[in-house]
Amino acid sequence: MASTLAPATRETAVAPKAAARRASRARRTAVAWLFLAPFAVVFVVYTAIPTVAALGLSLTDIRGADLRTPFAVDFTGVENYVRLFQDDTFVRDLLNTGLFVAVGVPLTMVTGFVLALALNSGVRRLRGLFRTVFFAPVVTNVVAAALIWQYAFHTDGTVNKVLGAVGLAGPNWLDDPNLAMPVVVLLGVWRNFGTAMVLFLAGLQAVPQDVYEAAALDGAGRWRQLRHITLPLLLPTTLMVSVLLTVFYLQVFDEPYLLTGGGPLGSTESVALYTYRQFGAGEFGMSSAASFVTLVLVMVVSVVQFRLLRSRT
Amino acid sequence: MPNLSRRSALRLTAGMALGAALPLAGCGRSNDTAATAGAKKVDASPATGTVNVWAAQGDADVLGTVVKPFKAANPDVVVKTTLIPNAEYYTKLQAAIAAGKGPDIAQFFPESQAQFLDSSTLLPVPDGLVDKSSFFTSLWDAGVVDGVAYTVPWYAYTYALVYRSDLAKKAGVEAPKAWADMEPFLKALQGAGAARGLGADIGWDIFNGQDVAMYAWQAGGSLVTSDGKWNLNTPQMAAALKYNADFFTSGAADTSGPTFLDAQPYFVSGKTASMITGPWVLGQLDTAAKKKGWTSAHVATAPLPAGASSSVTFSAGGTWGVLAGSGNADAAWKLVRYLAAPSTQVAQYKAYGSLPAVITAWDDSAIKNQPLLDAFFTQLKNTRAFPQISTWQQVATRLGKEMEAVAKGKETAAGAAANIQAYAESVGTGRK
Repeated sequence: MASTLAPATRETAVAPKAAARRASRARRTAVAWLFLAPFAVVFVVYTAIPTVAALGLSLTDIRGADLRTPFAVDFTGVENYVRLFQDDTFVRDLLNTGLFVAVGVPLTMVTGFVLALALNSGVRRLRGLFRTVFFAPVVTNVVAAALIWQYAFHTDGTVNKVLGAVGLAGPNWLDDPNLAMPVVVLLGVWRNFGTAMVLFLAGLQAVPQDVYEAAALDGAGRWRQLRHITLPLLLPTTLMVSVLLTVFYLQVFDEPYLLTGGGPLGSTESVALYTYRQFGAGEFGMSSAASFVTLVLVMVVSVVQFRLLRSRT
Repeated sequence: MPNLSRRSALRLTAGMALGAALPLAGCGRSNDTAATAGAKKVDASPATGTVNVWAAQGDADVLGTVVKPFKAANPDVVVKTTLIPNAEYYTKLQAAIAAGKGPDIAQFFPESQAQFLDSSTLLPVPDGLVDKSSFFTSLWDAGVVDGVAYTVPWYAYTYALVYRSDLAKKAGVEAPKAWADMEPFLKALQGAGAARGLGADIGWDIFNGQDVAMYAWQAGGSLVTSDGKWNLNTPQMAAALKYNADFFTSGAADTSGPTFLDAQPYFVSGKTASMITGPWVLGQLDTAAKKKGWTSAHVATAPLPAGASSSVTFSAGGTWGVLAGSGNADAAWKLVRYLAAPSTQVAQYKAYGSLPAVITAWDDSAIKNQPLLDAFFTQLKNTRAFPQISTWQQVATRLGKEMEAVAKGKETAAGAAANIQAYAESVGTGRK
């Protein structure tokens, strides 16, 4: 943080002596730390220490019954992690989570981007209304939404009634291992495309209008403008949206928990749901190990995304 | 962190992790010291001081009314009751115990209390506090580990067959006595107009696991060996899984419904004609039918049909335990003794409908004059406690998921029995 403050002031300083520069630098660092202190304290107490403690727990055989004497447990090394990857359920849940990310992230981004484009250049009237409507799912209580979705995708639900009206026999969506996952992903997309849309919209509005005018003068059509101006200039926004969504989908919990409970036949159970279940069963060691695997995944995927997209921004 | 290079940041993280792990490595488990039964006797003198009671919302809602006579007889005692929502109850209790801020008395559920039955958490029930033979055997057994009792039964329930008597009469069938009679019975109810003979539980969770375990008992199986090892890959377990799955494959039940919330509306409307469920539904069906007296005119109950061995079921309900950290154990035990008395349990029944865990309380006219409860009384005398193993809930939850695979034809009964044994061995029995 302090290093970002430095360049702005360095230019105004006229050939200072080295000692004076060091002193002022130390003071600036101290001031920066002072500003950072409230966050740093909260971060250390509520994030860093619990994270480290969880790592410690994941290396022991601690269970619910050990809570009174949390230090009287055995150090078991990576045994929990070995057990985790030997558990078919965990491996299945990892694959399910991978599917959430692989399908959910692109779908959410494309939906959000297309709507942002439409709102930015296509829709003139009622733009505020559309923006509000599209953003509404983000602020809707997910418990209520999931309940409505449950009714909508019930055997005798709205979706199947609509299908029946056009002569199609609707399946039992949430009880079919092949169909439940698409519905759960769809709920995730529905809940998140508004966030993507708003971020893309902000990005679009930051693109200077004269660039488009210049391109139009050079004879570039709408499609070439989109490919060669809009998309490249939106890369920083795209990176942010993609990292945000990936982190969200890697930890997906609400949607499967509320809509299907992880079923049918475990086809929609995510790693976060697995972690929650292990914790509920008093398997604190296993639960901590599973959450650490999630943390590592989030870190790896984020770093990869930054590497892939940052070089061009 | 501006002046921190990536390498030193990594080193710092590793150091912190090691720092967290080292004290743990230094400690390790100590050998548990066995609790000694027969703690200090609890006399008949009045209780004094403050007694903090924690209970789950539900049956304990009426506790304030039920303990009024106790407060009157013991003027120097203050009873403070804290009610906690059911879903968070064990989590909060565990956290409070871990922090050393637990109550004096806590409510437990006999079907899921094994994790608390330990001398570091609960005090052994003092000798002579209550007569253990006055309770349904399985409810008392649910609190006993290595010969030491930690809990005192409070209320009781078990499962029985609840069916539409009008449809059975129309079809000319009697309640099934054995497993083999079950499918013809359910099919006959379908013939009398129901869409499905059985409104089966399709949550595929711990409750299904408990059902399958109960069927395994009925087939003559046991869940653990006499030396305390998991014994789930048995022909009896396979038979239990198949018996339950056959409801679905034969068309007597449906894997897609009714869901938990639909169970009673479906039963009342005649979409389903029977349920394997607890006694509380009897008090709720009139509401579901929106008609007073509907239940007595349309519903009958029967003990569950017997498997190759018996018609045994599991017992559930509520129990009380006094925490090891209690500062007022004497008064706490006096309150528990009061709650276990037949007259208190009848008062609890009258206030909330909780069925007594004390057998003699069932002689009270308030309970005796209800014919629909007879099947539950018969069944309660033929119940067994789930294994007193702290990982049982995990195993039962997994068993419920295995049941789903068998019911949907994705796994054979024998394969599921092997799977559940492998899983149970991987989580162990929680003992070292």
